[in-house]
Amino acid sequence: MTTHGNRDFVGGRVIDPTQGIDAIRTIVVRNGVVAALRDDAPSSPDPSVERVDCVGMVLSPGFIDPHVHLREPGDPQKETLASGLAAAAAGGFTAVAAMPNTRPPCDNADAVGHLRAAAEDAGRVRCYPVGAVTVGLEGDAIAALREMAAAGAVAFSDDGSPTKSLKALYNAARLTADLPQPFLSHCDDHSFDGALMHDGAVADLLGIAGSPSIAEAATAARDLLVAQATGKTWHLCHVSARETLDVLRWARSRGVHATGEATPHHLQCSEELLRGFAARMRVNPPLRSERDVEALRESVRDGTITVFASDHAPHTEEEKGRPMAHARVGFSGLETAVAATFDALAGVPLDTMIANFSTNVAALLGVAGGSLKVGSPADITGLYLDRPWIVDVTKFRSKGRVTPFDGRTFAVRPALTVVGGVVVT
Amino acid sequence: MTGARHFLDLDDATRADIEELVARALDHKRGVPDGDRLLRGRMALGMFFEASTRTSLSFQTACVRLGGHWMDFNVGSSSFAKGESLEDTMRTIRAIGVDAIVVRHEESGFPHALARFFEGSMINAGDGRHAHPSQGILDAVTLVEEFGTLDGRHLVIAGDVRHSRVARSSGRAAWLLGAKVTLCGPPQLLPASAPGWGFAELATDLDALIPAADALMLLRIQKERDDGAELPPAYELATGYGLDERRMQALVPHAIVMHPGPVNRGIEIAAACVTHERSRIERQVRNGVFARMAILEACLAGHA
Repeated sequence: MTTHGNRDFVGGRVIDPTQGIDAIRTIVVRNGVVAALRDDAPSSPDPSVERVDCVGMVLSPGFIDPHVHLREPGDPQKETLASGLAAAAAGGFTAVAAMPNTRPPCDNADAVGHLRAAAEDAGRVRCYPVGAVTVGLEGDAIAALREMAAAGAVAFSDDGSPTKSLKALYNAARLTADLPQPFLSHCDDHSFDGALMHDGAVADLLGIAGSPSIAEAATAARDLLVAQATGKTWHLCHVSARETLDVLRWARSRGVHATGEATPHHLQCSEELLRGFAARMRVNPPLRSERDVEALRESVRDGTITVFASDHAPHTEEEKGRPMAHARVGFSGLETAVAATFDALAGVPLDTMIANFSTNVAALLGVAGGSLKVGSPADITGLYLDRPWIVDVTKFRSKGRVTPFDGRTFAVRPALTVVGGVVVT
Repeated sequence: MTGARHFLDLDDATRADIEELVARALDHKRGVPDGDRLLRGRMALGMFFEASTRTSLSFQTACVRLGGHWMDFNVGSSSFAKGESLEDTMRTIRAIGVDAIVVRHEESGFPHALARFFEGSMINAGDGRHAHPSQGILDAVTLVEEFGTLDGRHLVIAGDVRHSRVARSSGRAAWLLGAKVTLCGPPQLLPASAPGWGFAELATDLDALIPAADALMLLRIQKERDDGAELPPAYELATGYGLDERRMQALVPHAIVMHPGPVNRGIEIAAACVTHERSRIERQVRNGVFARMAILEACLAGHA
């Protein structure tokens, strides 16, 4: 067994959107980087090189999840770097971007440095810190953004809630206008704090305070106006409402450098899941109407949404089992994201699906990967496209066990995760 | 409802469920032989996290009339509402020997969460804006007493509909029995789209509706359920959706007026209208005891 990344991945169907490749190829990996893509298997096996049989798999540039909550430091009962990165590997992700809403939050350069070091010790999957926009995620005072960038933060976000102060957000964007790090916006409106689900027919029926789609869309418009004014690259996290998609289209039509992401649960599930006070199914942004689900799927087909993210947000069983107003929001997503997203988007070309999971995410975050060109890090995701399996939360590597997909059968199954030439699954 | 362990809402109830409870409530009103032995040895626990006079007393009276025991849980001194030990608390209460919990809570869905952990019967005495199913039954009893059948009858529910658990439950019960139900209020206090809650018509002009109403139900303004950004000023609700002498005159001769109480006199209903001959407000309260006897019996009698 070699650990230094000298391997030949043989027999797989290689799809690389950056090279327009869709063919059976051998991926030759030396010293952790892609050394060649050959259309035949090496004839004279080198005993120092491990041969990995990939027949039946699609091999693509490694999938990067731009939106996970790993709960370290602060909440090891929910997740640790070790359990979260193991879940990522199992789910087919070679890298993740960790949101800063830990306890304490990742809002300074030391915290960024600590997270990177701790993640390297905890697992093989690459972990990129996202730095908070404001101190303590409180939405008022700008955090040390440039220092965090120098320490390795790949983006800035107050995810969990929108940056409360427009003034802080605007100035933060101006301060970092020359840096490549994008802002990642969680769009919501504080005047609807206390809302427990989407303000729609089910909330009406249950007598639950809801947050309407315009709470997301109006904040998205605000933030993309900041992007327009400052020239910053901007990314809308977990878009859930069709109005928000309209805002994103508008911004793009004006030349704003804006992207948006879709989660598997927003692509699959509507407010109907909350019927009967299913508090475990609470998530932010809330699951919206069937029309929104269909609009989100369509937005992937028309290219408005170009990034997929799990928004992996593990909590304990007890925290999810509380009554509506007390249940924590979010799902354990890393181990089902790939399968559930493919399931929701039947008919979308494979290279688009792969780009949305890898190439486009690497470009957004400015990180290595997203390509299998010679010289690229050998980060590879292998998938079986038609090997049906049943989601069983008791087998999760993540400590979070609540997902809307427990018991579902999916056709696409992550089969192989390779980071720097090393098989990590 | 026969054989039901819990009584949480009417969201999945059938016409037969409502008819059965209404018929049994009317039996109790006439007197049932040995009715005071039906819940002998059974124990009900009132858990009123939200203040209540009439509903609590009404359930308690219903329980005692059926021969059951009633206790009140001191919600003020427990850390229960935080939700951290719901399961343990429910198991403890059951182990002590409580057969039914009658719960009221300011959060929609709270009784449903408790019910998942309670092996006895969970009876909802009002949860947030969501449901007040015993009110739904007692209003159905009152309407059936008045009209016999509700087929072809028209119930108009006016006021702060959105925040009203009474409107959700009483409207659904009347609709299940065949009535047409119209919810009338300012747009932001109505369901977002018709049919409201899956069954009700929506309207904003009360005066246009009044001549067509067989029963007019006024709702209490739920000031405690709003942060101030949703409700119009009280006078605007009163002039648009309250009952005064002029509107009382515009009702057809057989029409009745209902109100779940407690009444904000002079806001949703003029003082003189409360005791008007069309008013069934006191009868609703009296019927409440019989409706709750039927509910307690359906949940508890025959269950060990």
